[in-house]
Amino acid sequence: MSRKQLDRTLLVLAALVAFALPLVVTSPTYLQILILLFFYAYLTTSWNLVGGFAGVLPLGHSVFVGIGAYASSILTLQYGISPWIGMLVGGLLAALIGIIIGLPTFRMRGAYFCLCTIAFAEGIRVMIENIDNIGPLRINGPRGLLIPLKDPSFWNYQFMSKLPYYYIILILLILVLGLTWFISRSKIGYYLAAGGEEPEAAAALGINVANYKLFAMAMSCFLTALAGTFYAQLMLYFYPKGLMGLDLSFEIAFIALIGGRGTIAGPVIGALLLRPLNEFTRIYLSDMLPGLHLVIFGLILILVMLYLPKGLTAPLAAIYDRLARKITVQGDAK
Amino acid sequence: MTAVIQATLNGAMMGAMYGLTALGLTLIFGVMKVVNFAHGSLLMVGMFSAYWLIRLTGIHPYLALVIVPPVLFVFGYYLQDVVIKPVFKAEGQVREPLTVIIVTTGVWYVLDNLALMLFGAEYRTVRTAISNKSFALGQYIISIPKFSGFVVAILTAVGLAIFMRKTKTGKALRATSLDREAANLMGIDQYRVYNIAFGLGTAIAGIAGCVLIPFYYVYPSVGVVFDIRAFIIVVLGGLGSIPGALLGGLVIGLIESVFSQFMASTWTEAIIYAIFLIILFVKPSGFFGHKQDW
Repeated sequence: MSRKQLDRTLLVLAALVAFALPLVVTSPTYLQILILLFFYAYLTTSWNLVGGFAGVLPLGHSVFVGIGAYASSILTLQYGISPWIGMLVGGLLAALIGIIIGLPTFRMRGAYFCLCTIAFAEGIRVMIENIDNIGPLRINGPRGLLIPLKDPSFWNYQFMSKLPYYYIILILLILVLGLTWFISRSKIGYYLAAGGEEPEAAAALGINVANYKLFAMAMSCFLTALAGTFYAQLMLYFYPKGLMGLDLSFEIAFIALIGGRGTIAGPVIGALLLRPLNEFTRIYLSDMLPGLHLVIFGLILILVMLYLPKGLTAPLAAIYDRLARKITVQGDAK
Repeated sequence: MTAVIQATLNGAMMGAMYGLTALGLTLIFGVMKVVNFAHGSLLMVGMFSAYWLIRLTGIHPYLALVIVPPVLFVFGYYLQDVVIKPVFKAEGQVREPLTVIIVTTGVWYVLDNLALMLFGAEYRTVRTAISNKSFALGQYIISIPKFSGFVVAILTAVGLAIFMRKTKTGKALRATSLDREAANLMGIDQYRVYNIAFGLGTAIAGIAGCVLIPFYYVYPSVGVVFDIRAFIIVVLGGLGSIPGALLGGLVIGLIESVFSQFMASTWTEAIIYAIFLIILFVKPSGFFGHKQDW
C-alpha cells in the first residue's frame, strides 16, 4: 500500500464513520452534542480561510454568524421565503460586509487589525441590540428572533428529529474542508501564505496581497453566515448577545489556534478535542465551583501556546507520519 | 446647560479612570508590541486587592495606594517572566507576536474565573469615610472619590512620563520600544525590560483599582467594561503614547457622559464604536502615535 492510498483509505474510513455514527448514537442529547461539535468545526474551518491562511487574526467572526441567522430568519418570518434561499442571501450579505471591513483593515498591522475586527463586531452587535426595526425589517432589538414551528420539511429547513440537522452540518463540514484543501493546493493558497508571512516580499514579487486577502475574507464570511442560518433553524431562537458576542468569536479563534491554524485538519482536531472537554467540564465542574471549567480552558490555551505554538496538529501529524511510514514500508517489503 | 456641564465634569472624571487603565495597556504595547488582553483582569485583581485590604484591615482607602501597586508590580513582573516570556522567545523576532495575544487572553480567562471561584459573582463595594462625600464647585457637585481618582490619574501619567524621560530604566524601556534589536546590541536585556514594562503596566492597573474601589463596584468580570474602552482609547490616542492614553480616556469619558444626557446609554456605546472606527480609517496612528506602528 502506498502512502497516498493509506491517506485516502483513512479519509474515506473517517467519513464513513461520521456518516454511520447516528446508527450508534441515538440519544437526542448526544446527537445534539455531535451536531454542535461539527458546527464549531465548520465555523473554525471557515475562519481558518482568513485567520489561518492569510496570517491575520480576526476576532469578530461571530458577527457573520449573526448576519446569516438574521437574514434567513427575517426572510422566513416576514416574507415566507425558504431559509435555504435566505441562507444564500445572508452569505452574500456577509461577504459584502466582510469586504467592506477588509478593505480598510487589511493594510493594518496585527494588533490594529485584531482590535478593529473586535470593534466592528461589537459595534454591529450593539447597534442590533438597540434597533427594533430597520425600515420594514423587524429585528426585535435585544430580544432576538423566535422562529415559529412550521410543517417539518426540507424546504422549511425544519425536521422532526435531529438526524437531518446532523447530516446537513456534516455535509457542510465536508464541503468546506474540501474547499480548504483545494485552496491550500492552489495558487491562491500559496499567495495567501506568502502574503501572511512576508507581506512586503510578496508584494515585491508582484502579488496583490490585499486582493487575495479580500477574496479569502469574502469567502470566509460567506461560509460563516451559512452556519448562522443553520444555527437559527436548529435552535429556532437566537438573540444578539448570545449569538454575536465576543465569546463565540474568541472560541472560534481558540479552536483554530489549539488545533493548529493554517492547517486543514487543525480546526477539526481542535473542535474534536475542545468541544467535548468544554461540554463535560461545564456539566460536571460548574456545579462544584463556578468558573472552574473556564480556568481549565484558559490554562489549556496557555499551555498549548507555551509548548505547542503551532497547535496540536503538528505533533499529531508527526506521529501519523511515523506510523504511516512503518505501515507502508512493511507493505512494500511484502 | 447646567446638566450638560455637570455631565461634562462627571465625564472628565470617569474618562480619567479609563485613561488610567489605558495607560498601563499603552505602556505594555509600546514596549512589547503586544495588546495585553488580560489588562482588564489585572485591573480586576487590583480592585479586589484594594477591596480586601480595606475590608480586612480597615485602613484609609488611599493608604492602599502605597501597598497595592508595588504588590501588583511584582505580580506582573513574574507573570510576564513565567508565562509570557517563553512564548515570546518561541516567536523569535517577529515584529508583532500574535501568539502572545492569545496567551494573554488565556491569562484573562484564568484570572477572571479564579476570582469567580474565590469570591463569587456578586457585586461588592466598600463603604468608606469618603465614599459619599462631595464638594460644590459653584453650582456643580463634585464627588470627592471621583475627583481624587482624576488627580491620581494625572499624577500617574506625569510621573510615568518623567520616569520614561529621566531614569535609566525608563530610557531602556523607550529604547526597546523604538528598536528591539538595536537596544539588544546596546546591552539592554530585552526580556528584563519586558518584565519591567509588564510589571509597571500591572502596577498602574493596581493604582486604578485603588482609586476606583471607593466608588465603583467590583466583580470578577469588571475588567471587560474597562478593557474594551481601554482598547479604543489606546488606538484613539496612538498605541504606545502616554499623553494619548490620557487624552483618549478623557474624550471617551466625555462622549459617554454627554451623549447619555440625550439618548439611551446603550446607544452611547454604539457611538463610541462608530467614532473609534472613523478615527481608525481617517488617522490610524491616533492623536500621538507613530506612523510605523500601524
